[in-house]
Amino acid sequence: MIELSHVSKRFGEETAVDDISLRVPKGKFCALVGTSGCGKSTTLRMINRLIEHSEGDIILDGQAIEVYDPVKLRRRIGYVIQHTGLFPHWNVARNIGLVPRLLKWSAADVQGRVEELMDLLGLPVGEFAHKYPHQLSGGQAQRVGVARALAADPDILLMDEPFGALDPITREKLQDELAKLQARLHKTVVFVTHDMDEALKLADHLVVMREGRIVQQGSPLALLQQPADSFVESLLGGLERGLKQAALTRVKDHMTSMGPTLPAQSRIPADFSLRQALSMMLRDHSDRLTVVDQHDVPIGELSLRRIIKEAQLDKGSARE
Amino acid sequence: MSLLDALSTPRLRWDGRHPNTVLVSLSLIMLAAFWSLDVVSMAPNRIVQGTSYGALEALGWPGALLATLLLSFIGILAWQPSPRHYRALLAAVMTLMALMPVGLIASSYLLIDPELPQARLGLGAAYWVVLFVLLLCLIEIRLRLKLTRLWPTLLLCGVALVWWLCATLWLDSLALVQEFKARDRQFLRAIGQHVTLVGAAVSISVVVGLVLAMLMRRYARLQKSAFAVLNFLQTIPSLALFGLLLAPLAWLAANVPLLGQLGVSGIGTTPALIALIAYSLLPMVRNTYIALEEVSPDTLEAAKGMGMRAGQRFWQVRLPLALPVLLEGVRITTVQAIGLTAVAALIGAGGLGTFIFQGLGQAAMDMVLLGALPILMLALVVDAGLGALAEALRPGGTR
Amino acid sequence: MSNSLSVAQPRKRAPLWLWPLVWGALLLLSVVAMSAAEPLFRWIEPDARQVIYDRADFYVLLGRHLLVVGIAALVTVVVGVSAGIAVTRERGSDFLPLVGQLASLGQTFPPVAVLALAVPVLGFGTLPIIVALMLYGMLPIVRNTLAGLQAVDIDIKTAAHAMGMTPTQTLRYVELPLAAPVILAGIRTSVTINIATAALGATVGASNLGDPIISGIVNGNMAYVVQGALTIALLALTVDSLFELLQRQLRSRLSAP
Repeated sequence: MIELSHVSKRFGEETAVDDISLRVPKGKFCALVGTSGCGKSTTLRMINRLIEHSEGDIILDGQAIEVYDPVKLRRRIGYVIQHTGLFPHWNVARNIGLVPRLLKWSAADVQGRVEELMDLLGLPVGEFAHKYPHQLSGGQAQRVGVARALAADPDILLMDEPFGALDPITREKLQDELAKLQARLHKTVVFVTHDMDEALKLADHLVVMREGRIVQQGSPLALLQQPADSFVESLLGGLERGLKQAALTRVKDHMTSMGPTLPAQSRIPADFSLRQALSMMLRDHSDRLTVVDQHDVPIGELSLRRIIKEAQLDKGSARE
Repeated sequence: MSLLDALSTPRLRWDGRHPNTVLVSLSLIMLAAFWSLDVVSMAPNRIVQGTSYGALEALGWPGALLATLLLSFIGILAWQPSPRHYRALLAAVMTLMALMPVGLIASSYLLIDPELPQARLGLGAAYWVVLFVLLLCLIEIRLRLKLTRLWPTLLLCGVALVWWLCATLWLDSLALVQEFKARDRQFLRAIGQHVTLVGAAVSISVVVGLVLAMLMRRYARLQKSAFAVLNFLQTIPSLALFGLLLAPLAWLAANVPLLGQLGVSGIGTTPALIALIAYSLLPMVRNTYIALEEVSPDTLEAAKGMGMRAGQRFWQVRLPLALPVLLEGVRITTVQAIGLTAVAALIGAGGLGTFIFQGLGQAAMDMVLLGALPILMLALVVDAGLGALAEALRPGGTR
Repeated sequence: MSNSLSVAQPRKRAPLWLWPLVWGALLLLSVVAMSAAEPLFRWIEPDARQVIYDRADFYVLLGRHLLVVGIAALVTVVVGVSAGIAVTRERGSDFLPLVGQLASLGQTFPPVAVLALAVPVLGFGTLPIIVALMLYGMLPIVRNTLAGLQAVDIDIKTAAHAMGMTPTQTLRYVELPLAAPVILAGIRTSVTINIATAALGATVGASNLGDPIISGIVNGNMAYVVQGALTIALLALTVDSLFELLQRQLRSRLSAP
C-alpha cells in the first residue's frame, strides 16, 4: 500500500507539488493524469526517492519512506519510463536481469527469471534474448522495459508515461496487455499519463492534477459522472464524456432478457462496451441489438432506450 | 547545464546559502601559494643565480597584510554568492591584478641595493601562481555572471595597460624589463614578423580551406584522399616539416632564378610559411567542411521549397548558418599557428621564437620569458577575440 | 559477449589488424636498419661527410621518445579522466564550467611557450617536455571525457538510478562503458599529437627522436631531418592504427547503432 499525506515538493522558490494526499491500496491501479508540468511525474519520483519530498509523509507498507535505504527501496520498486532507458550496451536478457543481479541472485535464478518474464511479455527467448535495444521496435523495447521493472517481482510498479512515445496502434495493444498482466499479477501500480483515455481504460483510481495540486480523485466512473470543475471536464473530453462513460460499461451489465419481439439482426458479444454497442446501432440504423455469448449464442438484448435510462440511474447512484 | 545529473534536487545557483566552492578553493590556493612560495627573486647581475624572497621580505608586513586581506576577501565573498557579490568579486580580482605591479615596485625599493645598478628582480613562483589562479577566478566569475567574453577581455586589456605603465615608469629593475630595454627594436620587429607570418598563413589557409572544403562537398572521392593527406601531415612533427623544406627550397632558389629573385630561399620566411599553411589546412578544412555539412537539411529544403536558387541558398542560408563553426576553425588554426611560428625561428624565420631559442642557448631565462610571454598573450588574446566574435555571430545571440 | 549479430562489413578492405603490423614492422625496420638505407640518404645529401645520424642508436632514441610520451599520456589520462568524472558527479558539479573552460584554455598555450616557461622552473632535460606534453594533451582527454559522460542519455541514467544502482555502479557499468569510445578517441588525439610534439624536447636537451631533426637543421644535413621525421611519423602511424583497432573493437562490443 502507498499512502501520501500532505506531501509537498519545493524547488527553491517554486512549488512543484502542493499538499497532496493520496492512497493506493495494495493491488490497485492508480493513474495520475494532468497536463505537462502539473507535478505528476514529480509525485511519482518522490515515491521511489528519485526526488526527496519537502514536506508531508509518504508511507509504504506502513513505514515512512525515509526509513528505507534509498538504493534498497528502489530495488524493491519496479520503474518504467517513457523512453525505456534500456542500457544500449547490454542485450535484452542482461537488461531484464539487472535488478536480480543487483540483488545478487545466482546466475541460474537470474536466467530462469529472465526467461519467465520474456515469456510473460510475449518476447520469444530465442529470438530476442541476444538482441540489443537499438535492434528493437518501440513496442518491443517497452515490453523489455516492463519486464525489467518486474524482474525482482516487486509489489509496487511505478510507470511514467510508459506508452507516451508509441504509435496509437502499438500503444493500444500494450495497454490491453498491461490490463491483462495486472489482472494476473495484482501489483500496486502508480501510472502517470497525460492521456485520459489511457487512464480511464486502465485505472481503478484516477487522480487529476493541475499546477501541483490534486483537483479531483475517485473511480473513473465517478469522475465521468461528476467532474469537479470545467478543467476536469475538458480533460475528460467535454462533450464526448458520455461516450467515454459508455466505453467503461460492459454490455452484459445492461442487457435485458430476450423480449417477445423478433430478435434484432445485429449481434454484439456480451463483454463489449456500451460505446461499441452505440456505434453498432448507429452503423446498422437500429435501436436494438442481440447480445450473444462467446459461442455466438443469443443470451439477451440491449436497447437504446435502456442505455439512456441506465445512464440516468448511474448518475443517481454516483450522487449518493 | 541541462546535462548535469537532473535526478537530484536541482540546486539553485543563486541560493545564497550555498557557497561557491570553486572560488573559495581558488582563494585558499592563492593564499597558500602566496605564503609558501617565493614571491620575488633578486640577482646582482644577469649571470648570477638570484636569491629568493618570501612574502614578508618582498612586500614588507603592510604589503603582505594587504595582499592577504584581498585574497581572503575573495573567499569570504564567495561564501555567500549573489549577483552583487559576484560583481564585487570581479572588482576585487581586477584590483588585485592591477596592484600586482605595485607590489613589485615595493619589493624593488625594499630589496634592491641602489649601489648595484645591474641588480635585477625576477618574478617568483607565487606571483605566477596567483596570476594564473586570478585568471581562473575571472573565468569562473564570468560564467556565473553570464557575461560574454568581450567584457573580461576589455578589462584585462585595462589591467595590461596598468602593468605596461608601471613597467616602463618605475620597474627598471625588473629582469624582464631589462631584457626588453636591451633589445626593444629587435622585440618590436620580432612581434611584427610573428604577426605577419601568422596572418599570412591563416588568411591563405582560410581561402584554400574554403575552396578545398567546397570541392570536397562536390567530389566525394576527393574528400577521403584529402583528409588522409592532411591527417598524415599532422603526424610529421612541425620541427621536421620546417627542416624538410630547407633543402628543396634552397635547390629551387638556386636553380630557378625567378624564385630566387622573389625572395624564396632555403631558410627564412618561405619554408616557414609553407609549413605553417600545411599545418593550418587540416583544422581549417575540417571545420569548414563540418560547418557547411551540418546546416540542417530541413532548413535547406525549406529554402529550396520557397524557391531560392542554389546561389541564394548558399550565400543567404548555408554560409551565415555555418559562419560560427567556420570561425571556430579560424580560431583553432590561428592559435595553433601562433605556437608553430615560434618553432619557425629555428629555421631563421624570425618572430618571437628567436628569443626563446637564443635564451635557451645562453641559459638566460629572462630572455626566454621575453619570447614566451608575448606568444602566450597573443594566443590568449586571439582566442578570446575570435571566440567573442563567433559568439556574437551566432544567430539569436550568445547561445 | 555473444557475437550472434553479424556486423555487415565490406570484406574488400584489408583486415584492421594489418595496419598496426605494417606500420610497426616499418618502424622497427627503420630503427634497426637505418644504416642499410645509406645509399638513399647519400642521394639526398651527396656532399655531407656523414649521412646516417649516429650520435645515438635509433632504437635508444625511440625508447626515450616512447618513455616521454608514455609518461605524459599516463598522467594525462589518469588526471584528465578523473577530473572529467569528478566534475560530472553531483558533488563536483560546481567545478564543471571552470574545468570545461580550463581544458579548452590548455590548448591555447603553445607547447613551445610552455616548454620555455617550464625550463626556468624544472631545468633542462626530459622533465620540461613531459610537463609541456601533459598540458597540451590534457584538453582532448578532458573535453572528450566530459562530452562522453554528458552524452549518456538522461533516461538511461534515470533508469539506472531508479533500478537501485548505486552511483558507483551507475558510473562503472553504465556511464563509463557508454562514454568509453568517446574517451578513447580523446586519448588517441592526445597521444598522436604528443608523439609529434615531443620532438620539441630536443631543443631543451631531452634526447629523443627530435635529436636528429635538430642536429640536421643546425648542420644543414637534410638526411638527418628525414631520418628523424620518418621514424616519428612511423611511430605516430603505428600508435594511431593501434588506437583505431582498439576503437573498432570497443564499438563492436558496445554495438551501438
